[in-house]
Amino acid sequence: MAQVELSKVSKQFGATKVVRGIDLKIEDNEFIVLVGPSGCGKSTVLRMIAGLESVSSGEIRIGDRPVNQVAPKDRNVAMVFQNYALYPHMSVYENMAFSLKMAKESRDEIERKVREAAEILELTPYLDRKPAALSGGQRQRVAMGRAIVRSPSVFLFDEPLSNLDAQLRTQMRMELKKLHLKMNTTTIYVTHDQIEAMTLADRIVILKDGEIQQVGTPIEVFERPVNRFVAGFIGNPPINMLSATISGAGPGTMLAMGSLHLPIPPQPACHDGQRVLAGIRPDAIEIGSRLVGLRTDWHVQAEVVLAEILGGHSLLEFTVGDISMIAELEGRIIARPGEKVALGFDLDRLLLFDPQSGLALR
Amino acid sequence: MKKFITLCCACAAMLMLLTAPVASAKELSGKLEIFSWWAGDEGPALQALIDQYKAANPKVEVVNATVTGGSGVNAKAVLKTRMLGGEPPDSFQVHAGQELIGTWVKADRMEDLTFLFKEQGWEKVFPAGLVKQIGTDKGIWSVPVNIHRSNVVWYVPENLKKWGIAAPASWDEFFAAAEVLKAKGIVPLALAENWTINHLWESVALSAIGVENWEALWSGKLAFDSQAGVKAWQLFGKVLEYTNKDAASLSWQQATDMVVDGRAAFNIMGDWAAGYMTTTKKLVPGKDFGWAASPGTGGKFMFLADSFGLPKGAPNRDNVIAWLTLLGSREGSDAFNPLKGSISARTDSDLTKYNVYGQSAAADFSKDLIVGSLAHGVSANEGFMNDFASVMEMFLKSRDAMAAAKAAQQIAVKNGIGK
Amino acid sequence: MRNHDRIKALCTLSPSIILIGIFVYGFIGNTFWISLTDWGGVASLAENPVKNFTGFGNYTELFAGFLGGSFRQDLVNAVYYSVSLLAGAIGIGLFLAVLLDNKPVGEAFFRTVFLYPMSLSFIVTGTIWRWMLSPQGGVNILPTYVGLDPLQFRWLSSTEAVMEFDWQNLLQIALYILAAVLIIWGLWQVKQQPRRAMSRLLVPGVVLGGGAWLGGDILPKALFMEEMHGFNLATLGIIMATVWQYSGYTMALYLAGFTGISQDLRDAAMLDGASSASYYRHIALPMVKPITISAVIILSHISLKMFDLIFAMTGPDNGSTGHPALNMYLTTFRANEFSRGAAIAIILFLIAATFIIPYLISSYRQRRIR
Repeated sequence: MAQVELSKVSKQFGATKVVRGIDLKIEDNEFIVLVGPSGCGKSTVLRMIAGLESVSSGEIRIGDRPVNQVAPKDRNVAMVFQNYALYPHMSVYENMAFSLKMAKESRDEIERKVREAAEILELTPYLDRKPAALSGGQRQRVAMGRAIVRSPSVFLFDEPLSNLDAQLRTQMRMELKKLHLKMNTTTIYVTHDQIEAMTLADRIVILKDGEIQQVGTPIEVFERPVNRFVAGFIGNPPINMLSATISGAGPGTMLAMGSLHLPIPPQPACHDGQRVLAGIRPDAIEIGSRLVGLRTDWHVQAEVVLAEILGGHSLLEFTVGDISMIAELEGRIIARPGEKVALGFDLDRLLLFDPQSGLALR
Repeated sequence: MKKFITLCCACAAMLMLLTAPVASAKELSGKLEIFSWWAGDEGPALQALIDQYKAANPKVEVVNATVTGGSGVNAKAVLKTRMLGGEPPDSFQVHAGQELIGTWVKADRMEDLTFLFKEQGWEKVFPAGLVKQIGTDKGIWSVPVNIHRSNVVWYVPENLKKWGIAAPASWDEFFAAAEVLKAKGIVPLALAENWTINHLWESVALSAIGVENWEALWSGKLAFDSQAGVKAWQLFGKVLEYTNKDAASLSWQQATDMVVDGRAAFNIMGDWAAGYMTTTKKLVPGKDFGWAASPGTGGKFMFLADSFGLPKGAPNRDNVIAWLTLLGSREGSDAFNPLKGSISARTDSDLTKYNVYGQSAAADFSKDLIVGSLAHGVSANEGFMNDFASVMEMFLKSRDAMAAAKAAQQIAVKNGIGK
Repeated sequence: MRNHDRIKALCTLSPSIILIGIFVYGFIGNTFWISLTDWGGVASLAENPVKNFTGFGNYTELFAGFLGGSFRQDLVNAVYYSVSLLAGAIGIGLFLAVLLDNKPVGEAFFRTVFLYPMSLSFIVTGTIWRWMLSPQGGVNILPTYVGLDPLQFRWLSSTEAVMEFDWQNLLQIALYILAAVLIIWGLWQVKQQPRRAMSRLLVPGVVLGGGAWLGGDILPKALFMEEMHGFNLATLGIIMATVWQYSGYTMALYLAGFTGISQDLRDAAMLDGASSASYYRHIALPMVKPITISAVIILSHISLKMFDLIFAMTGPDNGSTGHPALNMYLTTFRANEFSRGAAIAIILFLIAATFIIPYLISSYRQRRIR
């Protein structure tokens, strides 16, 4: 039940600046995901919000209250750690009850809240077990249970799913999302996995080198990344990024990538002869029947390098002239290396970046 | 003068060698292992003996096996393990008297040395009282190397003068003087850790019951809980009233220091205290510090002695006999004792080699009645000694003379005193 | 293949099994046998000493004999000594470990400083503390530096005793202690399992205590005479020295344990609302319980075997600070009472076993569960 606001928050360890002046406003009940490569400062931001790290400069407010000087336990935040940080000598029940016991709640109240949380998380049969006797997913749920019993105003998650195997991770991710829908509590979630970010977040915050690159909904950061880094970081398989040159202007604008020349929609931010980086999402490339909806002058003859079938869709590595790209295609594409196929580019979704500054050109 | 003395010694040595042709006739070889606890201050004295032995028997390799630890606490334990393991040293140091007899003679581990005493004529040069203490009706068991006196009271003459008292000849005199001292805030009698309490006890008991009873006590003819025995504990209890309360945490040197510093008037300690005051404290005997027989023991010499014996099964018996001969000889003991700070067991020692205290002690030794010390292993066997420590502990706690006397009798019976 | 491995294992282990069998267990057995004989006294050191079987005579003599008083006092001393050492060394060690766990400036330096006494030999420690605790110097004159009167306490030679009890009433006292343990345990459990606590702990405890109180007169006396034993204040000096020497050691043990606890756990506890104190009480201490157990076992062994420190500090015949180990040595090697000494050794061995066997059983069980 609280907003979280960071203004000009910085963190230094000795001479090393880890977080450089972050401004972020997180709305009540919002699910925010902080994402970025390792060392980008995302965990530090989270720990500063939790109060486990001091703030070098700037201010953090939870609700309307500045909390820079408030002890972690008084911030009314709960955190789930990457390795769960369960107390190994306590049973599941005791683990979940610990914070309530510290808050000196009555025995009955503790019992009620723990049972309720256990019910939500389907942990009731395991309440008497020690963490060592639980599976990874169960431990993960205990860690969440420990957080929700306190009904905190903010949930903090520090890469909570990274210790699970892929299947379990997907399952837990969905449970997390459902839990958030049920609890409706402001949530700040740190991950380096952009799929988690895309699926869970109301808004994604992309961090790099201690600075925010972009804040936006998953679709926004996917379709309209503000710079080359965001475009590259979000999306899997990663965006095809190619050096290109713009020629012409208005309706006659052309994009030259090596030997490949394609007409593109008017680019008001570009001028004739400008060198750019062209980003084409793998899923913006079509094949077969899906070519029908595309302008014919966006069709090309490509040579297959490698085709991979991933169940319902396929990845295709191909070359067109002297450039090579990856496409993510609907259906099962069976193609031998060297085979010629007809592909089409959805250049309405073309992303252009300045090769020097990396900023989006639009 | 010095040259003359050396000459005399040399002559005496020549004479000895002539009178002891058996020992020197054979050319000795092999090894001689001497087991002792003389490692620290006493080391040089032992070395002097070994040097003499080597000079006379160059082919014998002397193994000086010392195990450190005052009064031989550790050495005795090592010795016992070796003896039990059937690996006796050639000769070992032991307190003369019951500590030797009760432990080793009764266990039939020692050879009778009467033949050596006869051969060397030692029965004439050692006082009869001493020979009686180191022997039994079955023989004589060790050769004493030195004599220490236990019943000595030490004081600083100048201080006594200042306080207007004299060295007490009896305990009654002491009590009178003690009241004066107490009023001045001076400790009448300095006492130290536990064994010095036993040491004090024997002096007090000797004065309380006299020489005859003292000897009767150890021969089992007088019970410890007899009237005389109880009297000893009563007197002892009274004497304790005049001692320092922190005794148990002091070493005997610290108790002596109390007298030297003028914090206490008297200290009853063996005559190694003279060595400590002369050598360590650099005091002049007779001037800076004085001494007398402890109260009520004038004319009595309570002795303790270190001695060496011949264990049965000693690997190099002949070498040991030569060693023992040297120990009992005049030049041997006169080489050892001035360095050790003790006196010779012989009544014919060369007094010029000794300091003022040594000369006075030697004079007393040749004329006084000689009795054995309890605290230093002459009068009673080790079992009794050990249990006596518990009895003393009990007495210090309860101050009940009757109970202590009864307990002492019990342990005497248990340990077969007089048998 | 497995059989082959087993034979190999047996071959490699057998030398040590045989050697330990002979030199540890064989000798314990021999000591026990000796303790049942009358080997001692006159002629005990003869080449083939006479050893007559006397059953448990030596033990009865030690526990109920007239001359066993010093042994009984030593035993009482050892109990008080062990308890104080455990409380002192573990308490102070834990306190220091908590201080250093919070990474103050100069943590490494202080760690070395606190651990340093551990590297000294007991003889050195004993000598140092003997000087420090001498009546007219050391600790006693500390107050004079701030203008106060010097202390008068005689650390090593006080003859005062507190918590005295009559050995005659040993049985009664044992019953009281048992009753107290039951009642305290019951009170502790009463919140969780009220019915079980009442029926199994509280009621028997009260009955036992009441019975011992009312029926004190009809209980058999442990001794034919009155014999007071207590906590001799002179032991305080020895306790101080041992605690000084060993708190650094327990500190190091605990510090290692604390360092092994992940930072996340500490963070989680902080977020859960635990203060620093409750973190240590609820999280860190229970997690290093194995360390506490080893510290208790190691320290109780040390206190039961203590010899050199006491020897150096108060010498062999100081009843107020006596210890069974010292008594054993003197009885054996000074008084030549080999069988009595062996009996003391066996008693010490059994006491030590009461500490270690439950530990071994529980760790064996835990291993089996895993």
